[in-house]
Amino acid sequence: MYYLIMCRSLTYAQRVANTLERAGIPARILRSPAEISPRGCSYSVRVGSRQFSRTLTVLAQKKLPYLGIYVGRTGAGFQEVGL
Amino acid sequence: MIYFDSAATTLQKPPEVSRAVRRAMATMTSPGRGEYGPSARAAATLLACRERAACLFGVGEPDRVILTANATHGLNIAVKSLVKPGSTVLLSGWEHNAVTRPLRSIPGVRVRTIRAPLFRPDLFLEELDRQLTGEVEVMVCTQVSNVFGYVLPVGEIAALCRARGVPLIVDASQSAGLLPVRLEDWGADYVAMPGHKGLYGPQGTGLLLCREGGEPILEGGTGSDSRNQAMPDYLPDRLEAGTHNVPGAAGLLAGMGFVRRVGPGRLLRHETDLKDLAGEGLERLPGVQVFRTRGPCQTGVLSFRVAHWDTGALADRLSAHGVALRAGLHCAPAAHETAGTAETGTLRLSFSAFNTAREVEGFLSIMRQLV
Repeated sequence: MYYLIMCRSLTYAQRVANTLERAGIPARILRSPAEISPRGCSYSVRVGSRQFSRTLTVLAQKKLPYLGIYVGRTGAGFQEVGL
Repeated sequence: MIYFDSAATTLQKPPEVSRAVRRAMATMTSPGRGEYGPSARAAATLLACRERAACLFGVGEPDRVILTANATHGLNIAVKSLVKPGSTVLLSGWEHNAVTRPLRSIPGVRVRTIRAPLFRPDLFLEELDRQLTGEVEVMVCTQVSNVFGYVLPVGEIAALCRARGVPLIVDASQSAGLLPVRLEDWGADYVAMPGHKGLYGPQGTGLLLCREGGEPILEGGTGSDSRNQAMPDYLPDRLEAGTHNVPGAAGLLAGMGFVRRVGPGRLLRHETDLKDLAGEGLERLPGVQVFRTRGPCQTGVLSFRVAHWDTGALADRLSAHGVALRAGLHCAPAAHETAGTAETGTLRLSFSAFNTAREVEGFLSIMRQLV
């Protein structure tokens, strides 16, 4: 299981990923899967499930905007996380 | 060659600039077009460029730093975002064609121009106070005249614009890398600058600092929001269609690193010292009129003209002696009109970090032979 933080642009995704990395949270930028990106071509930051709670804390502290957060399970698609 | 045309383009660059360009050409592709290494490196370079600019020029978020092709590109976006057909626009009187031509292209725009003497910021502010009336919808002001190196009091201009609710566009073409440029402290709506002058980047680079959004003058792919046939409504994507000049951004990033390392204040002192040395030498020659002041009102850009000499002819003679400078109207007829030099134009010397006092002495020696 992992989480995707979907961002509105590559620049925002880079900022989110860099901020998380600086906080010691491994983060990887990837194209958002089509299933969660109906408008086409957006970017997400992938973080591991064990880091999710800290990720939310860092995002809130740094006031970094994002479009949504999705939980991904291998072979089971994505589900939006209601916060 | 003695190169004194850095107000157009700095010719000598720090060696790390060309290294960065070469590395980018060899190892980077387009950002946002894939997750593979060369694309990711390109994306990281663009973000680093935005972040360094945001830090140097007082922009809160790097997303509001737009990578442009030059200052003219940025000024076109700024002008066409704020100025609508029929608007009344107030100009400083020292503007470049990069400002006046885009304004002229908008139907029905009424342009007012502040005419105040060279190197008299006090009189400029008095005139601004009179002319910044309720009808003015946008103010456009250069921070430094590209012809005379005259430093306009942008902080005070911005404060008056803020107080009267008039949006402000600043042309920082001749100041970026030398003087404080502070988008948010000024409360300016846009600040445009080239990368290839005082920031020591390659030609074909520039920056537009934005307070908020803007209107695109170019539409196309952004690598984002692709099903939407309108341009994205967020920066920087909204104002950056098409493939980026990644090698240019890499070079600009290195150039800004040089400016940060040496320090804008030190760079300015070096250039103004050379300007004063050249000015004092020129003033001793017969028939030479030098447009110069001491103190903080002038950067290292110096205009002069010589009685009975056509400026272009003298520039040609100097070129034959290995001196590169710029003659004529410098794409700024409005500035020459304000200064009273529109009939003749001037010869312009402009310096960079890589010029030396010895080069100035060499130039003066040639001038003594010619005039």
